[in-house]
Amino acid sequence: MARFIVRRVIAAVPVLLGLSVLLFIFVRLLPGGPASAILGQHATPQRIADVNEALGLTRPLYVQYFEYIGRLLHGDFGSSYVDGTKVVDVFLLRFPSTIELTMGALFFAIGLGIPLGRIAARHSNGLIDGIVTVISLFGISIPVFVLGYTLAFFFGVQLHWLPTFGLADPTLGVPAVTNFPIIDGALASLQGGTTAPFVDAIAHVILPSIALGSIPLAVVTRITRAAVIEVSNEDYVRTARAKGLTEKRVDNRHIMRNAWLPVTTVIGLEAGALLAGAVLTETVFNINGVGSWVVDSIRNHDYVVVQSLVLIFAVIFMVVNLIVDIGYAFLNPRIRYS
Amino acid sequence: MTATAATLAATPRTSRGLWGDALRRLMRNGPALVGLFFIAVFVMGAILAPILSPYDPTVGKLADGYQSPSLAHLMGTDQQGRDEFTRVLYGARISLSVGVVAVLFGLIGGTIVGSIAGGAGGKLDGLLMRFVDVMLAVPGLLLAIVLVSWLGHGELQIMLAVGISYSPMFARLLRGSLLALRESDYVIAARSMGASPVRILVRHMMPNALTPLIVQATLFAATAIIDVAGLGFLGLGPGDPRIAEWGEMLTDASSYLQNYPYLIFFPGAAIVISAIGFNLLGDGLREALDPRLKR
Amino acid sequence: MHLLSVSDLVVRFRTHDGTVHAVNGVSFDLDEGETLGLVGESGCGKSVTNLAVMRLLPRPAGHIERGSAVFEGQDLFEIDESAMRDIRGKDIAMIFQDPMTSLNPVLRIEEQMVETIRAHRKVSTKDARERAIELLGMVGIPQPEKRLRDYPHQFSGGMRQRVMIAMALALEPKLLIADEPTTALDVTIQAQVLELLSRLAAERNTAVILITHDLGVVAGMTRRVNVMYAGFVVETAATSDLFARPLHPYTIGLLHSMPRLDAEEGEPLVPIEGVPPDLRQAPVGCPFAPRCAWAIDRCWADMPALGAMDGVVAIETTGANPTHRVACWNVPTPDEARLAHPDRPGFHAAPAPTVAEIAR
Ligand SMILES: Nc1ncnc2c1ncn2[C@@H]1O[C@H](COP(=O)(O)OP(=O)(O)OP(=O)(O)O)[C@@H](O)[C@H]1O
Ligand SMILES: [Mg+2]
Repeated sequence: MARFIVRRVIAAVPVLLGLSVLLFIFVRLLPGGPASAILGQHATPQRIADVNEALGLTRPLYVQYFEYIGRLLHGDFGSSYVDGTKVVDVFLLRFPSTIELTMGALFFAIGLGIPLGRIAARHSNGLIDGIVTVISLFGISIPVFVLGYTLAFFFGVQLHWLPTFGLADPTLGVPAVTNFPIIDGALASLQGGTTAPFVDAIAHVILPSIALGSIPLAVVTRITRAAVIEVSNEDYVRTARAKGLTEKRVDNRHIMRNAWLPVTTVIGLEAGALLAGAVLTETVFNINGVGSWVVDSIRNHDYVVVQSLVLIFAVIFMVVNLIVDIGYAFLNPRIRYS
Repeated sequence: MTATAATLAATPRTSRGLWGDALRRLMRNGPALVGLFFIAVFVMGAILAPILSPYDPTVGKLADGYQSPSLAHLMGTDQQGRDEFTRVLYGARISLSVGVVAVLFGLIGGTIVGSIAGGAGGKLDGLLMRFVDVMLAVPGLLLAIVLVSWLGHGELQIMLAVGISYSPMFARLLRGSLLALRESDYVIAARSMGASPVRILVRHMMPNALTPLIVQATLFAATAIIDVAGLGFLGLGPGDPRIAEWGEMLTDASSYLQNYPYLIFFPGAAIVISAIGFNLLGDGLREALDPRLKR
Repeated sequence: MHLLSVSDLVVRFRTHDGTVHAVNGVSFDLDEGETLGLVGESGCGKSVTNLAVMRLLPRPAGHIERGSAVFEGQDLFEIDESAMRDIRGKDIAMIFQDPMTSLNPVLRIEEQMVETIRAHRKVSTKDARERAIELLGMVGIPQPEKRLRDYPHQFSGGMRQRVMIAMALALEPKLLIADEPTTALDVTIQAQVLELLSRLAAERNTAVILITHDLGVVAGMTRRVNVMYAGFVVETAATSDLFARPLHPYTIGLLHSMPRLDAEEGEPLVPIEGVPPDLRQAPVGCPFAPRCAWAIDRCWADMPALGAMDGVVAIETTGANPTHRVACWNVPTPDEARLAHPDRPGFHAAPAPTVAEIAR
């Protein structure tokens, strides 16, 4: 297992290096270069030259690249051209919200998608199956922001059931300890002896999670349905029934245990959709996460931040996929023992 | 032996039967026809927009603003008094054309890279696939977002950005099928009969490798419509006040969610229905081209 | 009373392209400790017959149209699902053809054996485990304690089939149905596994239904044989009788289409011409008529019942001396059986009736 992980990490290195080169070129090739991105289009050539000098952009490209890589290896992802804040600092502040949001979406997708897929498979080609198929068709066809606003309108504006702004109510004055709104809310609840902060944090994450989770939900439902139908026809399921096992055990142990394999693979593939979808979801629900930061940085032409964030997203994506693959190997003895 | 090899090698080329069969199966597939109908409605709406609506999609009278749906304004009017129905129709022009062209760009790029990699194999294959890996390392829409921010605003830029972000997936898909086909009996038979590598690739392998590509392209058309709207929504759309775009319409309307939800509803529904159309068609194509999948 | 009594079993499948008439009125009896062979071409309904008895037909396509299967006095088709579940694995066990796919790849052998035992006996996991080790040892798996922790892919094909046998015998069933247990194995392994199977069954007085394509296996392993064709039992006899004096033209064809060591000099090796009938058509007449050199007009219209030859009064369906029965209107003579074709001056197989004749 350890070898498997090491091998995967080593395989990721050239990909990340390649991406860093591309991103480096991307910033250099910006129209007018970084300086005019900072100063705006109407900057005088003299000022641009000054800024280029100050940023060290006049030296040979390869020197600049190796310096850039050197800084990255030291955990220095640069600073914003716009407000001078360090990327790492802001990232640590914002990332917990994004994690909370994507986890919520993942819970929603898996928690609902697997039961739906199982029901559909059991009644395959019946009415329930048809309904589930239509739901998943909607799920993959509705953009995060359309669903987000629709949910916000019905459950927020109309019914006043759930909040639609941010991941916590700032008026509650919950102290930021971990920056995870739910964990901070729970801590505040424990200390204050009132459930309000915790409940508030949970309420805030519901609608964004549903909006972000709709595509993975549809995909997980579809794949679960297909996997359960396929596994149900396997010889070993017939063996399990021939042994006199209860239908429940056949379902849970023999069918689901195998159906989890393709489902796990698909969850890994959907991790990318979740990360990218977070950009949109955070914009819809005004969440101060990493996703909305990407959008803000692009709007502000803050390309150092964009460059670093894309790299960080890629790393996160790889880590998530590694975790999924480890989970897959764990579920599949044929991989674990080879 | 030669006779068998010849018939084997000839099988994939009698593909008119295959396509004819697929078309017949598609025409008997209810959901796929519904999808085709949705797409047709939007295509007609886009083409006939000037005939279907007397209004201008980009200029309105402020005095006419915020009207609820009525006979005069089927979908109401927006904050600037522009007719929403007209804007949805003209928006279909952008969404469909940009979405479809973006997928074509991706398909072309992916086909070039994938067929070189899968056809040539060896070092070139390894190099190209590493490049594909690098692009795939940036999750989903994020790649398109970054590319647009780099290429600048405009329709062509969006097509390119979305197309480029899809091309690695097409490349990987095509390369995968080509590698599998390389080991298949009829390709080995053709090779043993001395057919040239290029001829084998073009005549024997590509026609068969294309079917999954076509299915994927149709499904990606749905994703592209959503992604193009997503870019517009994030303020990375065509950025031209003279054209209506569904995603930008949503951004504008989001400020008025409280009082004028229909401004969100209609462009939103347009995106969803057109995406459903392509998804249904894509699933239908997949079943039609691979009858074993029929459930 | 017989251990198992199947009578007039009819099984059909509803599929997209019509109803498949898989089993068309099969009857047979089986006593305790008896070994019954089931032979016939691929697709003739051997597996379906036995899956129907276990009530494990693929759902929702397959269903039992009529008939009964009385096991130890109760009709398996009448009892409720939980009663049937108690019988499966405990009283009737099954071994399938492909040991590569019959064991669940993601569960340890231990779990798959323990769950079988615990589904039927109120024993602790620990005791069930002990029993599993004992069983693995019994089927000849070295280091059973260690191998119990392994997954199926860590066993060879032959070893997996041994595991399947151990699992099937875990609860000392009264009936073991082995559906081509060695078809997927190496020839060298086949004999070992069969030997193991018959020894263990004999030691426990377990009745066995052995499905196979291999007449050699039938000869070596069974006391009695049913020959099936297109969902019918066309001939049944003590194994030695069947080989000595095959009655049905299909059985004769089957015997002549396989090389045998005991074949007499001059016996030709001939394949059976033609293909089995399309089971999507409801059977009319004898399904073998289109391929039969002995066919007479009547064969095209009526399916003969399984009956004894002239002169036999009492029919024994089981036991030491089962009655040799055949479903045929025009039984070949012993000489013809040896020659594998009709030997009557001027005889020609009756051609299929024309549409007009059928209409009449
Ligand atoms: N799930 C199913 N759906 C439709 N038809 C089926 C199904 N399973 C079996 N059949 C049909 O039932 C008939 C009998 O099948 P069965 O599996 O009993 O044959 P068999 O004698 O065991 O053959 P083999 O020697 O190949 O195992 C076949 O013609 C087959 O087409
Ligand atoms: Mg069978």
